[in-house]
Amino acid sequence: MGTIRQHLRVAAFLSASLSAVALLPGAAAAEGNTVVIARSFDFNSLDPARAFCDTCQIYLSNAYESLIGLGTDNKTLEPRLATKWTGNADQSQFTFTLDPDAKFSDGSPVEAKDVKWSFERLQNLKGGAAFMMDGVTKIDTPDATTVVVTLAGPNSEFLNILSAPYTAVVNSDVAAANGAAAGADAETADKAEEWFLANSAGSGAYQLVSYKADDEMRLKANQEYKRSKLSVTDVVFKHTKDAVTQAQLLESGGVDIAMQIDPDTAKTMNTDNLTVETIPSYNFLYVALAPGAKGAPKLTKEVREAISLALDYDGIIDFTVGGAGTKVSSPIPTGFPGTEGLAAPQQNLDKAKELMAKAGVADGFEINSEFPNMNAYGVDLSLLSQKIQQDLAKINIKMNLTPLEFSVWRDHVRGDGIPLTTSFYAPDYYGSAQYVQFFGMIEGQPWWNRAGGKNDASITNPETAELLKKALAATEADKPGVYKEIAESMMSDHIIIPVVSPNLVLAHSKKVTGVRYSACCNLLLNEIGVQ
Amino acid sequence: MSQSVAITAFRLPNWAKLPVIIGGLIVLFWTAVVLTINFWPIDDPIEMVAKRLMPPSAAHWFGTDALGRDVLSRTLHGARLSLLMSCAVIAAAVGIGCTLGAIAGYVGGFVDGIIMRLVDITLAFPPILLAMAITASLGPGLENAAIAMIVVWWPVYARLMRGQVLTVKVREHVEAAIAGGAGHSRTLLTHILPLTWSPILVNATMDFGQVVLLAASLSFIGLGASPPTPEWGSMISEGAIHFYKWWICAGPGIAILSVVLGFNFIGDGLRDYLDPRSR
Repeated sequence: MGTIRQHLRVAAFLSASLSAVALLPGAAAAEGNTVVIARSFDFNSLDPARAFCDTCQIYLSNAYESLIGLGTDNKTLEPRLATKWTGNADQSQFTFTLDPDAKFSDGSPVEAKDVKWSFERLQNLKGGAAFMMDGVTKIDTPDATTVVVTLAGPNSEFLNILSAPYTAVVNSDVAAANGAAAGADAETADKAEEWFLANSAGSGAYQLVSYKADDEMRLKANQEYKRSKLSVTDVVFKHTKDAVTQAQLLESGGVDIAMQIDPDTAKTMNTDNLTVETIPSYNFLYVALAPGAKGAPKLTKEVREAISLALDYDGIIDFTVGGAGTKVSSPIPTGFPGTEGLAAPQQNLDKAKELMAKAGVADGFEINSEFPNMNAYGVDLSLLSQKIQQDLAKINIKMNLTPLEFSVWRDHVRGDGIPLTTSFYAPDYYGSAQYVQFFGMIEGQPWWNRAGGKNDASITNPETAELLKKALAATEADKPGVYKEIAESMMSDHIIIPVVSPNLVLAHSKKVTGVRYSACCNLLLNEIGVQ
Repeated sequence: MSQSVAITAFRLPNWAKLPVIIGGLIVLFWTAVVLTINFWPIDDPIEMVAKRLMPPSAAHWFGTDALGRDVLSRTLHGARLSLLMSCAVIAAAVGIGCTLGAIAGYVGGFVDGIIMRLVDITLAFPPILLAMAITASLGPGLENAAIAMIVVWWPVYARLMRGQVLTVKVREHVEAAIAGGAGHSRTLLTHILPLTWSPILVNATMDFGQVVLLAASLSFIGLGASPPTPEWGSMISEGAIHFYKWWICAGPGIAILSVVLGFNFIGDGLRDYLDPRSR
């Protein structure tokens, strides 16, 4: 066994070395001030108003800046482009004072008009993250360094939202000159998506050099960035689909940081020159049911609850991440306001069968399940789907699994919908409202659409919408209580059924320093150094 | 002396050398597996039967995979899918290819030109890329993978059959049959085709293993069998996720290797047997 492992390691080393040679012409990883990062890309766009994905978070938070940043404790808000901010008593109007020294990568100053233009574009382009601008009714710019945002009603989470990478401030003059539009007709008038694939127009620590889909992305240090001293001048993200290849590349020195190694693979790594740390994260994977999807069987509330009770949550954690994960009670993951004291999900097959019988489907039914054929946070979604298939077979539900490329899956889930799918989510900022806005069965919101709310009005949960309004108007002290009510309300929908929050494996060369998990941004490159 | 006589008496013909016997045994074994697997006292290939990622042991000879399923059971059940699909693909490719090739070779002229240009176009693409493109456009799944493989394979038989027909149709007995008033279909079916089957048979035998390999390749990249169907290619793909748990890939890997080798050995033997020059 040892000999075989040695041979495998030699083979792994050779293949990883070849990949590394192909990666950087004449250079090994971390040579000079270059850092090479292995990551499976899930980009849907590089345009700040269109992008909405985990890798997008990394790109946007490093090539652009938001008004507010998230501290190293992943909770506290810190100044970024805004040096200070104030809110009115009912939290429906916020005033921001911009850093007068902040500059875009072309040397031009970051001004209030850029903030207004970026926010309006995010709102009007109606991309995946447009919900973050929900309720913004007016943006005033009394002078070049002051921005006043007026909301339709109270929003106690607005400042948190502004720490999300998707609220990036774009150089409006440059972007507009290249086809970008922010007006009410931006959805049709904006022609800049292709331009953003080759260019960035932000004030972040790095700027885009090149991007090749499903291959690599290169960034270089922004010379105008003064917020901190950058140790790394060039960053190469290498699209590396699976955890094993990422581990091999890291072990052989082909890359300096591997972002999606699963705990099982981490246990097999030779860590002599590596730092491999496993830490809890807010990321989670979930089962999503879509009663209104095309071809869906009758997924009544009872059937949905039966499905949630049939899942073997402990087994899922064991099978997908070798036990290195935790259960998640509600679509608001543990650790966020409102999740304290929520009951952890438990398998209860007897009750599940009882509910199936009550719903008149004791003999079960068939359900189609398409899922993205990829690894998310170290979890192989094919493995997860097969485990769920095994569990649901126990209550006579036959899942027909179809693995799809991520982009195809995304089109299907946003199009006709998928009756039962598995997916994943990482927070965009520290705050619970994002989960309500994204997963809540509130008319017009992303997962209400994906679950087929237009075809099946019964999934709409007016209570969640009402509670969200109450939460957004609540004081800091009252927020956890209201969000707990929301979490319970969303749990009762049984549309989004979280199954595991996998621990995050931070794996990098010992030569690289400053690697940490950021709840909003995944990986902050400006904090990374090379010894 | 008597021993020498015995050896001479049981000496195998040239074409039936050791590899052919080995190939025959392998094919016989897998055929028996396909026909009788439901009666074997082995674990369910879909259900979890033990702890996940267990190395080979007395209870689970090939170990268990990431979902605690018995790798040996999945490998043996995988044979049914892989071999039956290969049979269907080869049968369809031979049927379509030989029909079109025979028509092209016998009719000639414009019809020959059209069919052979179609063959040229199809053969211009690398088989795996063409199969991937077709499967991707039709959607992942076994049926679509089979269709893709038929599209990839029929031209080989069309070209082979056309060549055979062109060679045979100028022979004297064919000319005599035509002069005697035999119609086109009678000439083709009775006087030409019976003399063309031997290279087709050899090729089909050799291709059988290649179809198993291509089917596994398509499943490996997620375009073939859907989980949790036990299929050799998808099993190897799942095993690659747990690279250092070598036993997950070993079972289906050995199965593919043995089937490809077995059919190649038999194909070689058949070629030697059917080709008088090699006797």
